[in-house]
Order: sequence, then C-alpha cells, then structure tokens
Amino acid sequence: MKPAAAVPQNSRTGGNKLGTYFRQIWKHRMTYTLLIPGLVWLVLFAYMPMGGLSLAFKDFKANLGIWGSPWVGWENFEYVFRDPAFIDAVWKTLAINVTKLIIQFPFPIMLALLLNELRMSRYKKVMQTVFTFPHFLSWIVVSGIVINVLSHDGLINSALTLFGAQPINFMGSEKLFVPMVIVTDIWKSAGWGAIIYLAAISGIDMDQYESAQIDGATRLQQLFRITLPNILPTITVMFILSVGGLMSSGFDQIFNLMNAATKNAAEVLDVYIYRITFQSATDFSFSSAVSLFRSIINMALLLIADRAAKWMGGDGLFR
Amino acid sequence: MKATQWLSIRRIMVLSLCIVLMAVTAACSKGEGNSGNGGNAQGSNASSGGNAKDGYDKKLKISLASTIKLEKPDVLDNEFHKYWSDKFNLEWDYNYVEWDSWPEKLRLWINSGDLPDVASWNYVHGDAINYIEQGLLYKLPDDWKERWPNVAAAYKQTGLGEKLEELTGGTYVLPKPVYFENKPADPLLNQIGVIGLRKDWAKAVGFELKDAYTVGELMEYARLLKEKDPGKVGNKLVPISFDINDSLTNIIMANSAHSRVESAFYKGADGKYQWGPANEETLNALKQYQAAYKEGLLSPEFYTWKSQEASQKFSINGVAGITSIGGLASYRQDIDTRMRENLGLDSSEVVHTAIVLGDDGKYRNLEQANFWSSIIFSPNISKEKFERVMDLMDYSISQEGQLLLNMGFEGKDWKYDENKELVSLLPEGTTLEKKYPSRFEGLYLLGDDFSVVNPAIKKEFRERAVKHYQDKAKLSTEGGAMAEYDWDVQLYDSKAKNQAGFDYATEYTNLILQEGDLEANWKAWVNSKMSLVQPVLDELNSLKK
Repeated sequence: MKPAAAVPQNSRTGGNKLGTYFRQIWKHRMTYTLLIPGLVWLVLFAYMPMGGLSLAFKDFKANLGIWGSPWVGWENFEYVFRDPAFIDAVWKTLAINVTKLIIQFPFPIMLALLLNELRMSRYKKVMQTVFTFPHFLSWIVVSGIVINVLSHDGLINSALTLFGAQPINFMGSEKLFVPMVIVTDIWKSAGWGAIIYLAAISGIDMDQYESAQIDGATRLQQLFRITLPNILPTITVMFILSVGGLMSSGFDQIFNLMNAATKNAAEVLDVYIYRITFQSATDFSFSSAVSLFRSIINMALLLIADRAAKWMGGDGLFR
Repeated sequence: MKATQWLSIRRIMVLSLCIVLMAVTAACSKGEGNSGNGGNAQGSNASSGGNAKDGYDKKLKISLASTIKLEKPDVLDNEFHKYWSDKFNLEWDYNYVEWDSWPEKLRLWINSGDLPDVASWNYVHGDAINYIEQGLLYKLPDDWKERWPNVAAAYKQTGLGEKLEELTGGTYVLPKPVYFENKPADPLLNQIGVIGLRKDWAKAVGFELKDAYTVGELMEYARLLKEKDPGKVGNKLVPISFDINDSLTNIIMANSAHSRVESAFYKGADGKYQWGPANEETLNALKQYQAAYKEGLLSPEFYTWKSQEASQKFSINGVAGITSIGGLASYRQDIDTRMRENLGLDSSEVVHTAIVLGDDGKYRNLEQANFWSSIIFSPNISKEKFERVMDLMDYSISQEGQLLLNMGFEGKDWKYDENKELVSLLPEGTTLEKKYPSRFEGLYLLGDDFSVVNPAIKKEFRERAVKHYQDKAKLSTEGGAMAEYDWDVQLYDSKAKNQAGFDYATEYTNLILQEGDLEANWKAWVNSKMSLVQPVLDELNSLKK
C-alpha cells in the first residue's frame, strides 16, 4: 500500500480534488455507466415530477399548464384542513400503518429465519415459492378471494352454518376491517419481504456457525446469537423505510376491500385523495396539497426514525 | 480479441439498458406522432376513395369515446355498423370507457389534452365551466343550428344548452335530450323510482297488486315473503333486492325528496337555501332503511354488491321478491329477456311494476331536466371531422335515422303494416341488440325517446312505462313533493360547492349500519358535514340577494 507521504501534495488541494474525482470516475467508467440508467430514471420519474408539487400552491388550469397556472398561496391547504374527512383520514392512516408496523413487520423476518433453518434445499425452495407467489397476485384478485371466503355465503360462513353456528359479518364489520387488512397483507407480502432477509442471511460468514457448533451452541442459540445480530443492520434499514411510509397505505388493497359499511374504518389518506381527485369535481391543486402534506409527514417520520436508529447505536439510512 | 472485449456481456447490458430507457422516455413524451386516444392528428385522415355517394370523398378516421361496450372486436364489421361507416365514409377509432371509470377517465383525457375527437361525457356543471374557460372543449360554429337543424331542435328540448350559452357565450357542450318527440308526461319526472315485484308470489301470500306502494307496504310484502317463502328458495331468499343506490332511490328518496346529490341544496319555504340530508324527513327515511336491514328484508351484505348484482338476484337467480327496475320500457324489456333466458319464466306473468310513495302517502321524485350526459368535441378536432360527426348526428335524429337505429333495416328487420303501424320482423326471441350488437351510432338523442313507441318492446311494457310517468306527474302535482330542478343551484359553481358533493348512498348506508342510536349518529354526521355545507348555503343565499 502506498504510504500517505507518497501521495503528491497537490492532490490534497481543492483544485486537483475535482481532477482526482474525474480520474476515478474515468477509471471506473464501466461501473459509472451502469449507474446512468438508474440516475436518468430517478431524475425523470422521481425528481422532475416533484415540480408538479407546486400545484399545491396554485389554481391549476390545464390550458396554462403547471408553470403557467396562477399562484394562490395557502388557499388549497385552507380547504384541505376545513374538511373533517381529511383529518379523520390522517389519523386512520397512522392508526392502520402503526398497527401494521408492529404486527406485520416481524413476519418476513421470522419467515426468513424459519426458511433458513430448513435443511432440505428442495423443500426450502418449494416453501419459498409458495410464500412468494401471493405477491404476484393483484389486490383485485386477492380481494375477490377474500370476499369469496369471508362473505355471508362464503366458505367460512357456510362452514359455520353447517355446524349450526351463526354466520359472522366479516365484510361489514368496522372492527374486523383492520385485522382483515393486516392478515391479507401478511399473506400477500411476507414471502416477498423475506427475500431481502434471506439475502442478508446468506451473506453471513459460515465460520461463525462452525465455531458456534464446535462450542456446542444449539440451533436456537445460533439463531439468536449469530443470525439475528448479523442481519440487524438490514432490519434497521427496512424498519426506517417502513416508518417513512407510515402516511401511505396500500390504496389497491383498501379500496378493493372496503364498502359502505366499513367506510369509517377504511377511508385512509390514499382513498381520500382518490375520492377528491376523481369522484368529486376535478381539483388537482387540492389533491396535490393533500399529497404534499402526506409526503412532508412521511419525510419527517423517515428522518426521525433514522436519527432514532443512530441514537440507539444502530446504522441509519443516511451515513 | 478487441472486438470480443468491446462486445462483452457487461457492455451489451449497459447499452441495452440505455436503449430501453431512451425508448421509455420517448414513449412517455408527448410526441406529435402519437395519436393515442386523441386520434386527432391530421395524418390519420385516410384519403382513400371510400363511399362518395353522400358527398364524402375523403375517408376520415374519427376517434370516439363511449360507454357502449363493443361485444366482439369484429363487431364494427357487421352490416349495421358498416352501413353507417359507409354512408358517412368514416372509420371509427373506438374507445370503450367503462361505466365505473367514466368520470375519471374523461377528466384525465380532457385535462391532459388527450380527448378523442368526440366523446360522450357525463355532464358536471363545475367541470364544464372550468373546461370552457380553459379552452379545453371545442366551440361549435355560430351557425351550427342552421346547418344541423335536427340536432338543434333536439338540443332546444334540453333547456340546459341555451342556459349554458347565456353563461359562456357559445355552444361547447351538447346535452343529450332524454325525450324529443315522444315525451310521456308533463311535468316530466325522473324515470327512477319504479320497482318490480314478483306478482305470482304476491298472489300466493295474499298481497294486493297496486300501481303505487308506500315503503311500509313494500316492507310488509317482504315480511310475508320471508315468513311464507312462496318461491321455495329457502335461505337464498332476498325479500328486497336493493343495492345501496337502489335503497337511496326507493327508500330514502321516497320519503325525503331532497336527500340526493341532485336535490340536496334547495330553497325552503322561507326563501333560504337548505341542506336536505339534515331534514327530519331524511332521518325518518333512514329509520325505515335501518328497519328494513335489521329485519333481514334487505340482503345481509347488500352494501358489497356491485352494479347489476341486485337486479340479477331478481331476474337471473329468481330469488328476490322486489327489485329496482327504473321507469323505462326498455329496462322492463331487459328484465323480460333475462327471466325468459335464465329462469324460463314469462315476466308478464310473474312481474308487476309500481311506483314508490313515502310513508305519508306523498309522492317524491326529481323533476327531470330533459337531458342526461352530453356530447363534447376535442378542441383539436379538424373542421371536416367535426362536420362529418354533426352530419351523422343530424341524420341519426331524423325519422329515418331513428328507425334505423332502433328498428334496423326496413323490409328486413321491420315493416309498416296496413295501418302504418311499425311491425318488427325479428324472429321471436331475437332482439335488435343481439342481431346488431353495440349500436353506438345514436350519439345524440337517447334511446328513451324511441322506447315509448318502439314495437320491439312489448306494448304492455311501453304502456305501463307511460302510465308510471303519468302517475308520477299527477301525484307530484297533487300533494306530492317533487324536487324542482333549480337552475340557480345547478348552474352555480364554486370550490365550496364542489367540496360539498357527497356520495349519499354510501353515507346513508354507513349511518344505518353503525352501532348505537341512529338519530344520535345522524346528528353527529350532519354536524361533521356542516363545515363543508354551510359555506355553500351562505354562497347560495348571498347569490339571491
């Protein structure tokens, strides 16, 4: 390795720093070329549309476009906060997502740990396929299945009636709506979510397990002392990302499962935005104001979770 | 060696990714060459010879958005559609719009400049004014009424067209007339609010057949069905097969004329505007709605039903005692066809139709503005395409056009008898819709008008439909409570009014399904809405000063 003293003095000056960067980039040009599509995608589809957020402060006129529409200051936000349904939607979104985070977040981790413990590789693959498959079904299909299973004359109620029990009103119960959302989401996404943890597990140095086995550690001890601590950084990152999405709930899922009876439990922010954008008279400025509000809260939650993770000695998202 | 290096897998992958990304970017950009749904590029004007017998030398490709589904992809090749295409020397770029996504799809198309050349649009006044102000709709030439007199005559019947002209200084929207030459009654009330009940079951349980029933009487009939099950359908029986929208029409509106979105804001006896859902009448209606549900007269999960599901229980499954049909003879004919095909029943023998009264015996419904939905044109439509569509619409409203649209070809599908009465030549059990599916060419005048005289619909159904219209007119003027069509409210547009448009069918259903005391829940609901409702009331009241 080249000693620090051997590094030319001018390479430490600001003027040449840039040159060094460019030389480094040129040296690794193939790697950087691979980055280009991702960067272009990010700029085109993530950063450029952010300009549209200015609509939240404008009275949008399609003929004038986003940039030409007149500014109206905070007027759209005044209308947003005047609507009690909006405040309700914010609390409902938070309530559903916090519950989801507490109950649902551990499932992919547990599934990954359990799958990792399987010793027959063929069986492991079959199980992984079985658990991952629901991810590829759309929520329209899943909600169709749910309705067929849980409706008044569905599978479960038919079985209950057969045994002389009273049918349960699953689809029309506000109390059962959130559990139904969580259970169906776990069923659909746990297998897919487990993939990232399985990848993290596969990166653990096998020597650790061998040493533990020599020292007489049981499988359970290996799991808690080796596997879990090793995948903790991944768990932390996934948790921070989940916290950053607390104000967004799966629109497809909730929209397809809700009905007039469960409206009060189900009108989360995404459903509210859909309703005011497409079901009432068009007001893209109004819905942009709601979306912007949601994004700011999401961003704030993400940053708080990141700080909290670092404060507790873990790895954050931003280093 | 160098060539191999250059063509390494990594380089090929990078290159492919870049090409794919460029292709995606190009596809997303608004290219001139991308006709998309708009289809209004001049380049799409096919200039083949075509049929020039009507003076149309140039074949035009015209994009159209409509809610009529094309039954099969090749349906446009059938004799009926070809006749229209040949006559007007055009080729359709047809865009089917799903009923459920109709409003949002049109909103997106209009706002993004992707509106097809001509589109059927479910008129929303606030949106219309916005679109017109922004130049998003085509302005018809000032002399259009002289050039297309049939369209102009039908347009005049709508009322809305001329009111809009006063507001906007031109014609941008062509509201579709419901009735033109066959208006069944005066005043005209909305066709909604006609139910069908099983006549054979009513006889079996000793329930009297009448032309009008109160909601309470219908519930009594439903109780009898539940008790005696005359159809022997067991636990599949749905005594009253209403979905949430049917319930709004036939239970809530029957008891409270201002409970619907169309009539929620109305002028009270003191001359001040009020909000109908906060009335005691609405509360009473809700109590009856809740009673019907709690007694098991409605399906336990009626609130999950999609459109048509309620009607299917009656006409396809044969397990329902009462359904909402609506007042058009064509709807009654549809029930007849479905029952014959699915249950092997002659509906004339087993179905009785009636109108629904409030429990105080008063009749309530909405005064019918003589229009429903509208025709709009893309602001980018070429002059010759616009004129071609107008020619087609003008012809479709003529007597010849109406006969063709509703009866098919003379001599083949229908004829005049010795009394100059129309006689259908279609074989028994065949309908025009089956023979020539998806007849969307009747772009302007709605089918309701011809359905009054259409011999393809059984005479008894037509006569019964007219009788219901006449009964509605009589009852609403003799002590009824018709919700008048208030042009001031309907043509008023503001942000507050747009924000106070609620989905009342869902709101009411949610209220009756909630736990606890209905009246307390209703009061809380009314209070929760007042922050949005009061600004509208204030605006409307200040408007009249």
